[in-house]
Amino acid sequence: MTIRQEAPVLSAEGLTKRYGSERGVTDLTFSVAPGEALGFLGPNGAGKTTTIRLILDFIRPTAGSVRVFGLDPRREGVRVHRRVGYLPGELALYERMSVEAYLRSFADLRGDVPWSSVQELADRLDLKLTKRIHELSHGNKQKVGLVQAFMHRPELLILDEPTQGLDPLVQQTFYAIVEEERERGATVFLSSHVMPEVERVCDRVGIIREGRLVTIADIGRLKARALRRIEFHFERPVPASAFGSLPGVKSVSVHGDSVLLSVEGPVDAVVKEAARHPLVSLETREPSLEEAFLAFYDPGQPS
Amino acid sequence: MNPLLRKTLRDQTRSLVAWGIGLAVLVAMYAAFYPSVRDSAGDLQGYLERMPEAFRNLIGGDFTSPAGYLRSETFSTLGPILFLVFAIGTGARSIAGEEEGRTLDLLLSTPIRRRQVLFDKWIAMLVSTAALSVVVGLTIVLIGPAFGLRVPLSGLAAQCLMLFLLGMAFGTIALAVGSGTGRKGLANGITGAFATVAYVLNVVAPSVKAVEPLRPGSPFRWYLEPDPLVAGLSLGNVAVLVGIAALAYLVAAVAFERRDLRA
Repeated sequence: MTIRQEAPVLSAEGLTKRYGSERGVTDLTFSVAPGEALGFLGPNGAGKTTTIRLILDFIRPTAGSVRVFGLDPRREGVRVHRRVGYLPGELALYERMSVEAYLRSFADLRGDVPWSSVQELADRLDLKLTKRIHELSHGNKQKVGLVQAFMHRPELLILDEPTQGLDPLVQQTFYAIVEEERERGATVFLSSHVMPEVERVCDRVGIIREGRLVTIADIGRLKARALRRIEFHFERPVPASAFGSLPGVKSVSVHGDSVLLSVEGPVDAVVKEAARHPLVSLETREPSLEEAFLAFYDPGQPS
Repeated sequence: MNPLLRKTLRDQTRSLVAWGIGLAVLVAMYAAFYPSVRDSAGDLQGYLERMPEAFRNLIGGDFTSPAGYLRSETFSTLGPILFLVFAIGTGARSIAGEEEGRTLDLLLSTPIRRRQVLFDKWIAMLVSTAALSVVVGLTIVLIGPAFGLRVPLSGLAAQCLMLFLLGMAFGTIALAVGSGTGRKGLANGITGAFATVAYVLNVVAPSVKAVEPLRPGSPFRWYLEPDPLVAGLSLGNVAVLVGIAALAYLVAAVAFERRDLRA
């Protein structure tokens, strides 16, 4: 696959937005290739929503630029928005409308959206079209947001905290729909403060903290940097010093016949050392993205 | 018709019907008072003589002729005040209301330009303001004769057109403040304060020398002098009110286009 060589669907170059003294974003540079899914991960207030609002031309950059399909969203907003599906983080709908009237007016605003595609999405999400929006639970409102984001089969999906308030069953449906859209070739830009969401949907993740992009990496590579815990159970006690000086080992503790290690990066040296002693069993576990994430946020850890 | 205009018109139908019924009832009620006011005009005239000049300016001096009565009771007091409450509220809500309600983000994520949103909202305000001025005119035409309230149709049409234009002038100012700041309360407040000052200025200017030179600054002066019911349409006055609305619209368009939307 040579996906990365194609012109990016979404790119930012030194993108900066300053509000007085408040939160903003500083010098963001990233790009998303066609068909790729990039997750923006960070706590609330880190600048995820600001980035999305810049991409959609709701706010204008203080410095730097953003391009969508190679177009300037400021000058070519209509052409950009036609090909984008957007789910806002803080969804606000026209409360007095019925779900059907709401979705019909958005289908009209977008133009050529087959009503059958709206109905199909609503059916899958188990959303009743006849209800008034103010009667809906938070989760059901979120479904209305999802339907309007997906109904025109957009080439780029911009999803701000998409599974917020969805019950687990609907989350699964949501993931299935995103996967189908990706198979169709859609590109995804997703923001979240929930690790599993990013891990589930995205190929790459950008970690954003206080408006700056701390790192942007393949999820696999990021996990590799995270600390991995390994527990060896030997036939007889092995001294901590056997492991303490090996490359990547961050901590060692000995409990009787067991040795518990935290290892960063490849475990090769550790495993080879363990093999020199009579070994009963070993336990290890894939670090979650959450642990990788925490490593970035722990000031004690180099980032 | 484009989808946003259709949606906006549909959204405002309910409140428009309520306003229309309310205005019609009020205008009809005032029409019903006409015979008794006319018959006691002698007493009233004497009473008015003893009132301050500004008060006479406010309510007008002539209650005996149908045109004088309509001017005093409908078109220089209650009519414009209610009209402006409606138009200013609509203008303030158009953009700033959606922005504060956070629905503007999703609307602008569809393939529609900001200037198109502004235009559609403005047209919707124009349609509803025009509809209300037609309601006022029709009520007088239909109910008035039953109470001896007959005025030339051309004069009444001119007066209703001026009422509509006055509404559009202030409504568009509210739209400009709202789309320039994203704050509905501010748009209502600033425009409402301006309307109040302009109204009072127009009333007191003839009797207070110090503020007389400021009177042209009040849109009400252009709305009411010379009396459209009697004198018919003054193109100059039409131009002033249209000019205010056009200028306010231009400010709205430029400010809304350049601005960051509020989060």
